[in-house]
Amino acid sequence: MGSNAAQGITVTGVSRSFGDVHAVRAATLFVPPGSVTALIGPNGAGKTTLLLMLASLLAPDTGTITIAGHDPVTDARGVRAAMGWMPDVLGSWPSLSVRASLEVTGRMYRMNRLDATARANELIGLTGLEALADRPSRVLSRGQKQRLSLARALVHSPSVLLLDEPASGLDPAARVALRELVRRLAGEGTAILVSSHVLSELDEMADAAVYLADGVTASAERVALAGASARSWRIRSLDPAALERGLLASGVSGIQTDHLGTLVQVDNEAAAADLLARLVGAGVRVSAFGPAVGDLEHTFLDLSRPESNGGAA
Amino acid sequence: MNTIPDTTPLRQPGVDRTSAGDFLAGLWLMVTLELRQRVRGVAWYVLLGIFVVLVAAVTVLLWLSTTAWETGGGAVFSAVIFFVLLLGTFVSPALSGNAINGDRDIGTLATTQVTLISTGQLVLGKFVAAWITALAFLAAAVPFLLFAVTLGQVSLATIAVSVLVLAAELGVIAAVGVGLSGVVTRPLFSIVVTYLIVAALSVGTPIAFALLGTATKSEQTLTSPVGCDDPATTGSIPRFDHYWWVLAANPYVVVADASPGVFDASGNPQDLFGWIAVGVRQAQVPPDLQGEAPYCQSTGQYFGDDGGQLSTARELYDNAVPSWFVGLGIHLILGAGALLWAWRRTLTPARRLPTGRRVA
Repeated sequence: MGSNAAQGITVTGVSRSFGDVHAVRAATLFVPPGSVTALIGPNGAGKTTLLLMLASLLAPDTGTITIAGHDPVTDARGVRAAMGWMPDVLGSWPSLSVRASLEVTGRMYRMNRLDATARANELIGLTGLEALADRPSRVLSRGQKQRLSLARALVHSPSVLLLDEPASGLDPAARVALRELVRRLAGEGTAILVSSHVLSELDEMADAAVYLADGVTASAERVALAGASARSWRIRSLDPAALERGLLASGVSGIQTDHLGTLVQVDNEAAAADLLARLVGAGVRVSAFGPAVGDLEHTFLDLSRPESNGGAA
Repeated sequence: MNTIPDTTPLRQPGVDRTSAGDFLAGLWLMVTLELRQRVRGVAWYVLLGIFVVLVAAVTVLLWLSTTAWETGGGAVFSAVIFFVLLLGTFVSPALSGNAINGDRDIGTLATTQVTLISTGQLVLGKFVAAWITALAFLAAAVPFLLFAVTLGQVSLATIAVSVLVLAAELGVIAAVGVGLSGVVTRPLFSIVVTYLIVAALSVGTPIAFALLGTATKSEQTLTSPVGCDDPATTGSIPRFDHYWWVLAANPYVVVADASPGVFDASGNPQDLFGWIAVGVRQAQVPPDLQGEAPYCQSTGQYFGDDGGQLSTARELYDNAVPSWFVGLGIHLILGAGALLWAWRRTLTPARRLPTGRRVA
């Protein structure tokens, strides 16, 4: 699909309030086709409100939104034909079977009966719901409903996909399958926006991240600063005593030891590489050496700190 | 989730747009979805069974008691029709009053709204489904109505008109229920408000009619009859004729008044419905504000009514505005207004949200 700027998701200066509550104040983001962007923020940051606006359910007070080239306020139908939305609320028609739910959804997108049936079968296989296909959806567990919800969002093969907490309630195998599916859809040209609290999950899935705090998306500069700030690295050695001697000799600050290993504060990746070289040079037998938290989590924690100083230490 | 097959085609669905046919197809999809969701429960069939048993019991009891008085099928028919309306007004709000906000609560409203189903299809689909559900009760009662025909005295035309008007009344209740479910956020509250509106129409209208009529008074001047020296007297008289439409808005009155009036040779109604119709239409006649006293106090002479001036029940019925037409009109405006309001409140993307309402 290439990098057509009219495709994908474009959000510029969007705000939305409910009475006195300013859920979203100033959101700006861009998700190009064929990529996965993580939407990250603390509880109450306005993630779901932003997704509801993108899903053409809520009108923004100010700002503009474009989904696959359509404005949800003036051309909701155009948006809906191209957009799939997996809500954070698990809703399903309780007395309809999984198969019937997907068929009805397909028919709501104006597929004919045959196409809807075929697509339902395809999606049941894709989400691993074969064994439950003819059971009423009220008997599904939370994770199974989550898969049904994902399947429903994919019924009309959307070119823009909005996933609100897609991984919650999924077992580890299903999370891996979700990640593979999301990556594959992105590979086929879909623009995907994923909101989640499971940041390690997003680390492996997302090409880019948008941080939303108090309804404001963090600017690229702030994100870069936060990402570059000092962070913890975890080191494990076959000989902890030798490791401690080596660290002290290297003049490293903030050494903490727990049952998983030793945590040290390192300014940036270059300093980490230097430290590893010195430790190995000093004969310390290092078995593990890496950042203690993922990139997204590190940035997220740094940005969510009140009055984030953000600067490199 | 299992391993993903690499070759799953992600094809574009055939999205084509023609207006009327697509609208109806989507509407019917919503109707069938709603019926599958709500009606296909054991509880619903139990309810229908209880309803049939009740109607059967009422029919048999009425038949036994009226044959004792030798009045025949007319009474049975009128009573069964009223009984179906009564039970319909009990059942219908519960089945329709949470159509939209109930879906919002279980999270299936928003997932429907993000599809190509329009708000109009959504609201109308739920209304049609609620109406069909209520009509099932009417259909279950039809055998008993036909039984009343076999007893004689009731024509098939009367039955047909009554059933049609009853069907329309059930539709109005369904529309009010679905409408309120789109306006009020909490399902329990919208069901209760629907019951209150039904109660206001069924019980409230006669009370309002009586109170409004007696509270509005006009001055009536009675001149003394010829040959009597009494001074003219003035008194106040209630003006029910201003408020006959309030009574006409009663669903029972609508059903009764709509059935073709059948009168005997002396112009008196043959059945219960006829008497109700005559009574309600009588309220349209304004009182004579410049009358002649029937009694001379000074002489003690009673003048009485001139027999020729009094019209028969039939004349009164024929000369009045058909009150069922006005009543049904009021109901249709009420039902359509409720649906329109629900449509406006359910439109997406939503601009203003009532406090406490979630979108999804």
